[in-house]
Amino acid sequence: MLIELEEVTKIYNRNQINEVVALDTVNLQIDSNSMVCLRGASGSGKSTLLSIIGCVFQPTSGRVTVAGKKLSRLPDRFMTLHRRRSIGFIFQTFNILPNLTVRDNIILPLIPLGISPARMRERAWKLMDRFSITHRENFPAGQISGGELQRVAIARALIHNPPLVLADEPTAHLDSRLSEEFMHLMADLKSAGKTIIITSHDPVVTEHQAIDRIIDIKDGRIHVS
Amino acid sequence: MIGGLTKHTNILDYSLASLWRRRMKNISVLVVFSGVIFLVASFQMLTQALTETAALALRSAPEITIQKISAGRQVAVPVEYTEKLSVIFGIKDIVPRIWGYYFDEVQGANYTVMGIDARRMPLGDKLHLTLQEGTMPDSGTGGQAVVGRSVKKILEQKGGRLLSLFRPDLSLASFEVTGVFKPEIDILTDDLVVMSIDDARDLFSIPVNMATDLCVYVANQSEVTTIAKKIAALLPGTRVLTRSQISKTYQVVFGWRSGFASVCLLAALSAFVILAWDKASGLSPEEKREISILKILGWETSDILAVRFWEGFLVSGLAFVNGCTLAYIHVAFFEATLFRPVLVGWSVIHPSLHLVPSFIVSNFILIFCFSVLPYLAATVIPAWRSASVPADSALSGM
Repeated sequence: MLIELEEVTKIYNRNQINEVVALDTVNLQIDSNSMVCLRGASGSGKSTLLSIIGCVFQPTSGRVTVAGKKLSRLPDRFMTLHRRRSIGFIFQTFNILPNLTVRDNIILPLIPLGISPARMRERAWKLMDRFSITHRENFPAGQISGGELQRVAIARALIHNPPLVLADEPTAHLDSRLSEEFMHLMADLKSAGKTIIITSHDPVVTEHQAIDRIIDIKDGRIHVS
Repeated sequence: MIGGLTKHTNILDYSLASLWRRRMKNISVLVVFSGVIFLVASFQMLTQALTETAALALRSAPEITIQKISAGRQVAVPVEYTEKLSVIFGIKDIVPRIWGYYFDEVQGANYTVMGIDARRMPLGDKLHLTLQEGTMPDSGTGGQAVVGRSVKKILEQKGGRLLSLFRPDLSLASFEVTGVFKPEIDILTDDLVVMSIDDARDLFSIPVNMATDLCVYVANQSEVTTIAKKIAALLPGTRVLTRSQISKTYQVVFGWRSGFASVCLLAALSAFVILAWDKASGLSPEEKREISILKILGWETSDILAVRFWEGFLVSGLAFVNGCTLAYIHVAFFEATLFRPVLVGWSVIHPSLHLVPSFIVSNFILIFCFSVLPYLAATVIPAWRSASVPADSALSGM
């Protein structure tokens, strides 16, 4: 088992007039080398759950264990180090820096790791080759197509070879062909031994054969389907 | 260790790329910042160079100068004072000197006219070493003068080597120009006309038994202050100036003017830093988004601060080097054209100075502290505040 959440609650703006309970005593276990989809309407709490699993922020209460490490009470610096080594993120809008070249965007997670520029280029080249974007290597990311942008985002999430890949609404801005292509790439990653968690309510994702499990979230609570 | 070094070179590389991405903005900042530092450094270097040039020129001045003061103003001093002072042990020689100002109405320029008795001066036989060309006036032969370079230029414009000056009774006294002073001592000689003491006395109609001041030469340099005190005690109503006092006066005058101008320029520098602060603290949404993405991708706050530090340091450091280099060129090769009137004076004749700025480390540290450090603070501190934003903002689609 890779991830285990026990009684996890997340409350935003606690004890204020605009207090929101985003997650309410969530218990969840996710096995390694599986592909899980967190499904729910907008505001249901799925992105919050993804952020807690990704060590972006801590739960208000409860315990999070990833690969045997208790992460729920780690200081911010150690959460950052954990993110740096173990997690690859794919964002809803990809969050690619448009003024950087494709290669420079891909190597961003490697810069603080102290890897030599030659090795960073080599790793980036392998991923660009795998995702067929080598011809765009020195293009500013702002000048490439949506499909290429998606592959750049995936390459960036994998450049440091993380065991866990988190994707937040990755197909929200893609047409059905690109969404299919994305899921095909995710299936390949799963075959390569990665654990993948995707938040989505897109049928292309939820009905994909590579998905092992769908977790429905409503009003911050998990509903077993 | 090697990984840490590689990390920092990677971050430096990222900073350089980041500067290049926003090159128009950064080049604009660099140009303005270099300009401000150039102005401040020019003043520092010019003041230093002027003070040193003045000190160099004053080395050949008499150790003590005696002037008579009446009603708070300088008046002619009786030559007979030399006999009164002969009782003071340690005085090598006392030489009367006549000097005054002559206003050339045609050119609208003030000349400083000085009459000396070179034969009685301890270094009188070496005065020709101060000349760029020609010889010193022959004391035995009247009607000769050596002039500073600006006076010579004025004469050349008139097309002659004869300097004609009016006496108080408006009769004309003419002098053949026999030499020109060296450019290295322009600060003292540029507007100077030196002639024999008799000619100067005749030109200004000063009686034979009077002089403008008395130059006292002392055998032992360490006794100058003591002898000056004895002279002051012996001759009440006189002003006794030592060479070191005159040197200090130069320093005070240049220092005051430089300080005044520096305050104005530091105000400009402060305004620039405040502007930089305002700009940096109001990070654009694009910059905030970049910081947020980097944090999600595993960059620590210190990594982001390092990027901002290098960006700020590269811009301000380059501006510092540019500004100081330009200031050196401005002072050394262009005679500090922009600021010379402020520091040297407002006379119609501006000395053409040949200044060699010296590298005083404390001056550069001062400029560094007033330019690079505030700029770094103005860029890093707001970035630190922005880097403290929650990393999750990148997850919400932004």
